[in-house]
Amino acid sequence: MSTTVGSPRGVVKVESREVTRAEVEDFLYREAQLLDEWRLDEWLTLIEPGGRLEVPTTDWAGWDATTAGYFVADDYELIQARVKRLKSRKAHAENPHSRTHRMISNVLLLEAGAETVWISANFLIHRYRDGGAYTYVGRYEHVLKVDPDGLRFRLRRAVPVMESMDPGARLSFIL
Amino acid sequence: MAQQTPVRPLGAAGAMIDEDWEALRFRVHRSAYRDPEVFRTEVDRIWNHTWLYLGHETEIPKAGDFKTRTLGGRPLIFCRDADGQVRAFFNACTHRGTVLCRHSEGNTKFFQCFYHAWAFSNSGELAALPGDDAYPDDPAFRASMALRQVPRLQIHEGFVFVAFDPDVPDLLTHLGPAAHYMSLTAKIGEHGMTTLPGVQLYSVKGNWKLAVENAMDGYHFAPTHNTFVGYLRETGFAVTDDDQYAYDLGGGHGLLVLTGHNGRIGMVWEPRFGDEEKARTVTKRRELEARLGPELAAEVADASRILFVFPNLLLFDLEALTIRQLEPVAADRTDVRAWQFVEVGEPESVRALRIKTMVSFVGPGGLATPDDIEAYEAVQRGITATADAVDPAHDWSDMSRGMANEKQGNQGRSIDEGAMRSFWRRWAEVVGAGTSVAGDPPAGTPAAGPTSGGAGR
Ligand code: FES
Ligand SMILES: [Fe+2]
Repeated sequence: MSTTVGSPRGVVKVESREVTRAEVEDFLYREAQLLDEWRLDEWLTLIEPGGRLEVPTTDWAGWDATTAGYFVADDYELIQARVKRLKSRKAHAENPHSRTHRMISNVLLLEAGAETVWISANFLIHRYRDGGAYTYVGRYEHVLKVDPDGLRFRLRRAVPVMESMDPGARLSFIL
Repeated sequence: MAQQTPVRPLGAAGAMIDEDWEALRFRVHRSAYRDPEVFRTEVDRIWNHTWLYLGHETEIPKAGDFKTRTLGGRPLIFCRDADGQVRAFFNACTHRGTVLCRHSEGNTKFFQCFYHAWAFSNSGELAALPGDDAYPDDPAFRASMALRQVPRLQIHEGFVFVAFDPDVPDLLTHLGPAAHYMSLTAKIGEHGMTTLPGVQLYSVKGNWKLAVENAMDGYHFAPTHNTFVGYLRETGFAVTDDDQYAYDLGGGHGLLVLTGHNGRIGMVWEPRFGDEEKARTVTKRRELEARLGPELAAEVADASRILFVFPNLLLFDLEALTIRQLEPVAADRTDVRAWQFVEVGEPESVRALRIKTMVSFVGPGGLATPDDIEAYEAVQRGITATADAVDPAHDWSDMSRGMANEKQGNQGRSIDEGAMRSFWRRWAEVVGAGTSVAGDPPAGTPAAGPTSGGAGR
């Protein structure tokens, strides 16, 4: 069963289970809270083993991470390494941690697969560090694995819409 | 003892480089990173009068392809004209100066100015001039209104350089021994090399010279990249500082040759690359030997390299290859552009491994570069502490590590600061910054680069 990209719905069916926009929103809000509070171990449980974390570059025109340069192209092992790194006091770029404040909106259910749902959402992240304020604006394009009792990331892709990473606006935290 | 050689002192700051071979001391005055006046002098004396890296030919493969890009603060159009020739124009309409092309990339036969609709062909001729009856009926008028080409453009192994001064020496003269190391990277692919789309564009709150220093500084690797070194160790690869050297290639160009640093896709295998890649490394090495001969193959394959081409190009020939370009924006801000440089025609699985591996290290989202950025942004913030300090002796940065070794004429190590010293010497020469030298510098100048079969294996 699949809907068509471009005609998003408030509810889709994945196997015998219904996924609603409210459920996806709750999932994304919960994730934002874990990231803003730097609860990275809990955050990691939201990623399906074998899942991917991607941030394409700002000139992105739909290329996948096997054919074009990216900012982040982590397989599951690298996601784990990233979390381990960010928890270390020796991750200098995030010691002390950035303060982040995430807003998520415009959540759309795009298409249902056999066991997944593709969703998109807009994000606005304010980050503060060293007296600087940075704004990251973009769109999430996620593939979520639909479990009987919840959702997990199969692909977590944050697409920045800025023209470039502004001065100081590196991606040392999870976008 | 002190043979003071003050070259034109810059402003009131006096000497900016303090080199003392008795005390084995090399210091750079911190205003060099801070002072807007120094920055303006750099843009004038370096960016306006030296070869600059513009981009790679493979970014504009087809006739009509173009990219817009800023170099030394000047907006440019980097394009391939209808005849396939690579060109660089100032991106400003000859009529009244409007930025002519406001797209970052594309393909076009004509660049048309939106203001009064003048149109220029992609080889620069003025092709359309609305209401031309009000202009002199004279071909010379049209010719005089052709798009302004950058005075010099030369290409080495696909790397396109431009100069805003027509009187610069030939590109190969400027590159000197650095040309050879650029050629080594170009020889990796059996079917050539290409840049990939997906350009990392980012900006750093730091002086451009801090980015150069960071790239030429092996000393910071272990402490700054502690978490990355830990990750490598966990994947079964131990990093070592042994047998890693720094070379002064002259002209401000520098080279680090690294063996224990990291593996290289297709060249030096390490466990995190997986078994498929292990077999390919063996095959690839055979291919290189057959094509290039054993000596050149060894040079290409066996060592990692970080090459700095004065003033704005860095080639990171590490796990994979990254081209990085520096664009100074202000004394305390640098724009960076970085491309993945890959073998043409390599299998998709290798391409994916290459991209994954490289971006796990480099770029603002990697596991290592953010710590570099943190380091030089922190320098930029820290050095304001001693500006106009009560004791002026505090306002200097120290780069004397390894000077005793250098004085003995030994090959500099990558974990010393010799590559930075040679960069700063050239910098001072070009910008006309004051230098004070005391004591006797080492007599023999070290070799311009690792000789075949020499250090670095
Ligand atoms: S400024 Fe370009 S046509 Fe007038
Ligand atoms: Fe580094």
